[in-house]
Amino acid sequence: MSTHQTEVLIIGGGILGAAAARELSKYKVDTTLVEKEVDWGWGSTKANIGLVCQGGDCLEFRPEYRRSKLVWDSIPMMEPLCQELEVPFKRVGMMGVYMNEDQRSKFSKMQSRAEKIGITSHQWIDRDTLFDMEPHVTRDALGALFDPVPAVTDPIKLNIALAENAEQNGVHAMLGTEITDISRGVDGFEAKTNNGPIKARFIVNAAGLYVDKMARMVNADSFVVYPVKGYVGVLDKRMGDLVRHNVWRVPPIPGELNIIEPTVDGNVIFGITLMQARRGDFSTKAEMAEAALKHVQGIVPELSAKDVIKYFAGFMMMKNFELGWHNCVVEPSPTVPAFINATMGYPGISACPATGKEIVRMLADQGLDLIEKTDFNPRRKDITDFSELPDEEKSELIAREPRYGHVVCRCETVTEMEVVDAIRRGATTLDGVKHRTRAGTGRCQSGFCRSRVISILARELGISEQEVTMAGGGSREMLYKSKQLLEGGD
Amino acid sequence: MHQEVDVAVIGAGPAGLAAAIKAKETGAESVTIFERAENLGGLLDQCIHNGFGLLYFGEDLTGPEYRDRFIEKAMDLKVGAELQSMVLDLQTDRTMKVASSSRGYLTLRPKAIVLAMGCRERTRYAINIHGSRPAGIYTAGQAQRFVNIHGFLPGRRVVILGSGDIGMIMARRLTLEGARVEAVVEVLPYVGGLIRNEVQCVHDFDIPLLLRHTVSQVHGFPRIEAVTIAEADESCNPVPGTEHRIECDTLLLSVGLIPENELSLKAGVELDPIVGGPVVDEARQTSVPGIFAGGNVVHVHDLVDNVTWESEIAGASAAAFASGAKPPGRKMGLKPGRNIRYVVPHTISGKGDVTLYMRVKEPERNVRIKVGDVLTSKVKLAVKPSSMEKVEITADELGKLKASGNELVVECLTKEAK
Repeated sequence: MSTHQTEVLIIGGGILGAAAARELSKYKVDTTLVEKEVDWGWGSTKANIGLVCQGGDCLEFRPEYRRSKLVWDSIPMMEPLCQELEVPFKRVGMMGVYMNEDQRSKFSKMQSRAEKIGITSHQWIDRDTLFDMEPHVTRDALGALFDPVPAVTDPIKLNIALAENAEQNGVHAMLGTEITDISRGVDGFEAKTNNGPIKARFIVNAAGLYVDKMARMVNADSFVVYPVKGYVGVLDKRMGDLVRHNVWRVPPIPGELNIIEPTVDGNVIFGITLMQARRGDFSTKAEMAEAALKHVQGIVPELSAKDVIKYFAGFMMMKNFELGWHNCVVEPSPTVPAFINATMGYPGISACPATGKEIVRMLADQGLDLIEKTDFNPRRKDITDFSELPDEEKSELIAREPRYGHVVCRCETVTEMEVVDAIRRGATTLDGVKHRTRAGTGRCQSGFCRSRVISILARELGISEQEVTMAGGGSREMLYKSKQLLEGGD
Repeated sequence: MHQEVDVAVIGAGPAGLAAAIKAKETGAESVTIFERAENLGGLLDQCIHNGFGLLYFGEDLTGPEYRDRFIEKAMDLKVGAELQSMVLDLQTDRTMKVASSSRGYLTLRPKAIVLAMGCRERTRYAINIHGSRPAGIYTAGQAQRFVNIHGFLPGRRVVILGSGDIGMIMARRLTLEGARVEAVVEVLPYVGGLIRNEVQCVHDFDIPLLLRHTVSQVHGFPRIEAVTIAEADESCNPVPGTEHRIECDTLLLSVGLIPENELSLKAGVELDPIVGGPVVDEARQTSVPGIFAGGNVVHVHDLVDNVTWESEIAGASAAAFASGAKPPGRKMGLKPGRNIRYVVPHTISGKGDVTLYMRVKEPERNVRIKVGDVLTSKVKLAVKPSSMEKVEITADELGKLKASGNELVVECLTKEAK
């Protein structure tokens, strides 16, 4: 395979890699974005809860940390970014509920730290106002510290939108490309991949779960990160009014997160039970589920296991996890020039706009010439969401394209044309379609739409239904043809 | 589209077809079925096994054969059918909004509506199965569609969790296709589906049936590689120390069905919290005037024949309502008593003969069903939660009933309990 040449190689198509790629695409820089999976954001990003916070509103906030600065620099950028990229953004606010004086004093400390860096949006809410604003919160609550600024977005949609927009603006994207080795020469780096070698002058290592593994390939691993697994549950949309804000409390167990939050799609999600785990092991455990349920029931007692339609686990790469003062790694390697390491741990979504810019600034510091493009297009159209349109527009749309009248996913009202659109934009798997359209995310968890989406994928990609996968690689859905096993086939 | 419809039927499965036909036969001028899928008949197209129609037709038919009889009749009667047409909204005043690939986006207000949306399968997340989240885990109905409609097998080494009817039928189907079914695993001490399926689909093929066991963990990614099986305690939780691993490339779930009532809720229809379906009177009218319901959307049936009968009641009542007749009313409520999980209908008027459908909570032998103070004469040798019990009460008997506070308790009594 011939060698691919590029000026900047970004390793990892998660939220930070995509944000950096999109930011670089504003300049006349030859950029390549590689991702080992067949789609964007399948490492840490897809399991993010989508909270866009202020940084100053979490207990372990340390103003002197780079992580904090990246988060609060991002605050004014996120909403315009979501508008440009047509990504859902809903300002829900954060409601820190306290049940005793100790919890109140912790919030009080947090508030004064936030005020020191100029975050002044917090308000104390009395008990009655709290129950007006959040009718399902426990009657044990004495009051709350409310911050109206935080919002929620759709992490994987933002990730996909950033990558799509970067591609639109000239970034070369290579999906399904895994880096197996990196070497350093006089004229830069050479990365070995399953799709041939890539030569690059600069490398941005945003490999998420494997950020230290990549860095180690060129002895640029000047940091230690711990993989921390978190469990999240999703409730049926029928329970969509259980909370209106991101509601949280000081967790009874240090290091846990006790959060219940509305999503941009009208679900409610809750969690997050944390544990250190072998990286890449996304499995859930009954104990994690029980702990999450129990702890969040301490805030909203009506939360019930019977309304849970889905649960999952994701990873954060945490620095200083043992201290409880997590920081990020966004820095040029002190030993290897032109090599930037970037992992946020959490909150990767909140911090991504400023982190993208910071990475570009660091590249410039390392000698990359930045000449702004005149034809950069910041706008990207989202897939038309049929279910969200007013009646007249629904009517016009079906009249123009009958496939909008064919509902494929009944729980989330996703039409055939939206699925086709997702595939035309690069979805090649069931998960790819799911992340772009929500098909399969509802209460029946694809019981109805799975076989239909498989058929549409096969038709649009020109492959057999048997070749369609859930998530690429060895995740085919239907392993054999009918009668194949009887004929001694394998 | 501004189309006048007397009776709109939502769903074209066996319930919807029966309701539409009956509505037309009993005088409704225009009857239209709205179906979100590509064809009429609902899931009957993938039910290629036999056992349909034994009661209704006195014949042993396959699903498609049973379906075809109703489709032909519906076509003869000029029942309207809109395919790939999903009802997105339903309001209390019966205003319906429909997205249809052939008819566009419709708003209409039929004179009467029959809910016939059927049910959906429980997922792994509804029963808390943990572990990895790979490809290869399907509900039994989903797998049935893969095999019988698409012509592909999900895998060759299969574990089936739950002994519902579709699960057991798929155990046989996959065995006949050359796959190996390692086990049918059931958390309860008895089988969830019909006895005939237990015998014909599991025992006749020597498939191991593990009662009082459950799947405690899923292994493998991106495709399932194994499951951990464990004994289950009284509250259905895995007993530590009893785990063993079964290698497999497929896990099928047949762990229960849930009546599909999201539309009913939009219309403000009251649901029975135990069954998950609308509270109905003997005419199968829901709590919302002019909205009727029949089949699995009301309660999950054991046999399609019973779905058909119940939906015929709903169809006839909808036609009557559309022509201005007054529904029978809700004079007495039926309350589940000893060992009865639920009774449908939920209320009766006392004006005519009525058939009560019910399910027991626990299997029992030599029982009689008592309605109010009337003890039905026939002794039932065995009752099981998997079979619906039917009790017919005549208007005469009803006339003699003394309802206490407008409520009749329905009980399942053994000799001892009596």
